[in-house]
Amino acid sequence: MYIKTVRIFFSKSGRAIYISHLDLMRAMTRAFSRSGLPVWYTQGFHPHLYITFALPLSLGTTGLCESMDVRLLEEVSDEEIISRLNAALPEGVQAVSAGEPVMAPKEIMWADYHVHLRCVVSEGRQALERFVALEEIPTQKRSKKGMKTVDIKPMLKILSVEEQSDGLMLKLRCRAGVEINLNPTLALDALTEITGFKSDWTTIERFAILNEALENFK
Amino acid sequence: MTLDQLDLLLSQVQKPARYTAGEMGAVVKTLTPGMLRYAFCFPDLYEVGMSHLGMKILYGHANRRDDVWCERVFSPDADMQTAMEEMGVPLFALESLDPVKDFDLIGFTLQYEMCYTEVLNLLNLAGLAIRAKDRTDPFPLVVVGGPCASNPEPLADFIDLVSLGEGEEVSDELFDLCIQAKKEGWDKPEVLRRAAQIPGIYVPSLYDVTYNEDGTICTITPREGAPAVVSKRVITDLDSVYYPENFIVPFLDIVHDRAVVELFRGCNRGCRFCQAGFLYRPIREKSFETVAKDAKNLIESTGYDEIGLSSLSTSDYCGLEPLLDSLLDWTEEKHVNLSLPSLRIDNFSESLMEKVTRVRKSGLTFAPEAGTQRLRDVINKNITEQNVTDTCRTAFLGGYTAVKLYFMMGLPTETLDDIKGIADLAQKVVDLYYSMPERPKGKSVSVNISVACFVPKPYTPFEFEPQDSMEALREKQKYLLSCVRSRKISVSYHDSATSVAEAALARGDRRLCQVVEGAFLRGSRLDGWDDHFKPLAWQEAFEEAGLDPDFYARRRRSYDEVFPWDHLDYGVTKAFFIREHQKAMQAATTPSCFAGCNGCGAQRLTGGVCKCI
Ligand code: SF4
Repeated sequence: MYIKTVRIFFSKSGRAIYISHLDLMRAMTRAFSRSGLPVWYTQGFHPHLYITFALPLSLGTTGLCESMDVRLLEEVSDEEIISRLNAALPEGVQAVSAGEPVMAPKEIMWADYHVHLRCVVSEGRQALERFVALEEIPTQKRSKKGMKTVDIKPMLKILSVEEQSDGLMLKLRCRAGVEINLNPTLALDALTEITGFKSDWTTIERFAILNEALENFK
Repeated sequence: MTLDQLDLLLSQVQKPARYTAGEMGAVVKTLTPGMLRYAFCFPDLYEVGMSHLGMKILYGHANRRDDVWCERVFSPDADMQTAMEEMGVPLFALESLDPVKDFDLIGFTLQYEMCYTEVLNLLNLAGLAIRAKDRTDPFPLVVVGGPCASNPEPLADFIDLVSLGEGEEVSDELFDLCIQAKKEGWDKPEVLRRAAQIPGIYVPSLYDVTYNEDGTICTITPREGAPAVVSKRVITDLDSVYYPENFIVPFLDIVHDRAVVELFRGCNRGCRFCQAGFLYRPIREKSFETVAKDAKNLIESTGYDEIGLSSLSTSDYCGLEPLLDSLLDWTEEKHVNLSLPSLRIDNFSESLMEKVTRVRKSGLTFAPEAGTQRLRDVINKNITEQNVTDTCRTAFLGGYTAVKLYFMMGLPTETLDDIKGIADLAQKVVDLYYSMPERPKGKSVSVNISVACFVPKPYTPFEFEPQDSMEALREKQKYLLSCVRSRKISVSYHDSATSVAEAALARGDRRLCQVVEGAFLRGSRLDGWDDHFKPLAWQEAFEEAGLDPDFYARRRRSYDEVFPWDHLDYGVTKAFFIREHQKAMQAATTPSCFAGCNGCGAQRLTGGVCKCI
């Protein structure tokens, strides 16, 4: 039987942003197997590695504060977990820290993103001003019962807009969690739909995952 | 290409992980002066190519050398190809993202005939001339290998070299030649001339082919010192040959996603329709100790949770039971599954059954291939109805309730009785199930009949045989359906749309180059995929070239006809194929080689005999 659960924080960047969530789960399972770390497998007819991810990351997005939980069969120091796992992880995925879980994944309420829009600065600014002034942002969202229209205005906060030589850098705060989760690309699609503005090139990076009190998920 | 450019491409396509590499096990090297750059191309999508064992072996083998960097190239899917063309990005290799055009050696593995237009597509995407004579620089040199290299004539005008047989030793010799050629600045004719002197390397442009009035081949004549007959290469000792200790572990879910170990090469059976069974002779086994060691290495380095055993007929491997025992010792504890493909019906023992049931449980599949004993004797599938029912009984006792049976349609001498025999055999399996008091309680049985169209292949006793007509095959399909009476039996067809083109290419000569090019120019690529295959493009290409597909696919060939591949020696002699063909026509069987050598000729290549350890 396992002795404890450990939460491992990792980053996903570079070529690794194209690994889908499903593929990442498989890659992690294999990485644990290669690492030789004493991790717990579920019992039963098809035993598999017990591994849960706090909040899936969309394909194409960089993640700096991703986390997953596994269970240990023996005591292993946090440093050793990190070093052994890093030796077994593919390019672009890196374990950063490990420790005992403090919060439950269901406490997650918000996620913060850096969104870099390569565009003509004035055009981007104008579009964003119109966007922020809207009372409602009705958006088509895929749900279990097909497409439905939801107002994403309450799920979205633009924390800052910074000018850069080749465009704009936004800090977005989006609702996140198991129940309600707003993918920033959906917000950007709405921006394009409503204002007609489209960046030449967009990169997105998730840099914080927060609870209701805006504390970092630990 | 830079990573930024790649990002831009990838934002426009499905499954971007096909094109990003960065997997564990991928080899990235620092370029050094004089390093030979080798682009190993699999002319199909990533998921297919990455499932292929031969590529894994040759990739690791090439990269063990410091002076060679071998990288992978797969076909872009349609969306990626469009994006690349729009952005003007030429075909690139996965590891370095460098253009394939700048490589020294471009290798294609030819696993099936329907990849030929894709070979042209990839050359074209790379920005290279399709025809070998228009590529006047010696490098990149284009070489092909794999099973279809046994008759490479329909690609003869597009490729520079063909590597016959097993690639481990000959690829080293080829790398050495290229490195020397680059150092000494040879021109292309000199590279080709010298390459033709390497045993196992065939240089199509150094052979002149003349034709008879009836369209058959008259002579094949070598020039410039090229050998009259090129023999394939074989590895004599499989226990000492290179085998990878590491595989690239893909992120995507590919077709066969597991650690694979090789049990033996060649086949003792001699099924008369099976090209692989003859192409890979003589029979050579790996000791079970070597296989067990290979398996352990791979599981440790890859983290895979499944081991696949690879061979043409797993249950014929002499060391199978000790091997399974030694694997099962540690696999269960490590949560590793075993998968055993290619089991035969006639030696599926109870003790093997027990071991297999400790292994992952899925449906069982067997291949009787033909519905009546007579026809099974014609094709030398040495199994009886009793074998089929005995095996199914064992399987049902072991708790299985689903059986899949593979058959072929359009086999030589086939009549409607043989077609009815397929349905009858399936019915007997159903009846057997319900006659067994010990059958799994409360469950019903399901028997799936899967039928493929037979395509006559070179280097088989059926290389003389015409292919059945499309109309006849359709009729037979309908008739089979009408013979099935039970709802427990389902029938699926492996469709035949490509099979005429496949049959023509398989036994084609080099005049077909024009057809392959014509089909490519009409947009054909990835022809092996139903959603890509364009029958009309092929039809028009044949018409434009003034060639008749039936001449290649549906003509009975005489024993003394010169075949387009007669100057390529794969070990088994034409005399043996003639003998086997005559026996087939009398429904006479040839026993397994394990009962004694049948004199096929393949043992010449290892200078000894075939053996089972
Ligand atoms: S040489 Fe003899 S034993 Fe070997 S494959 Fe041929 S017939 Fe069989």
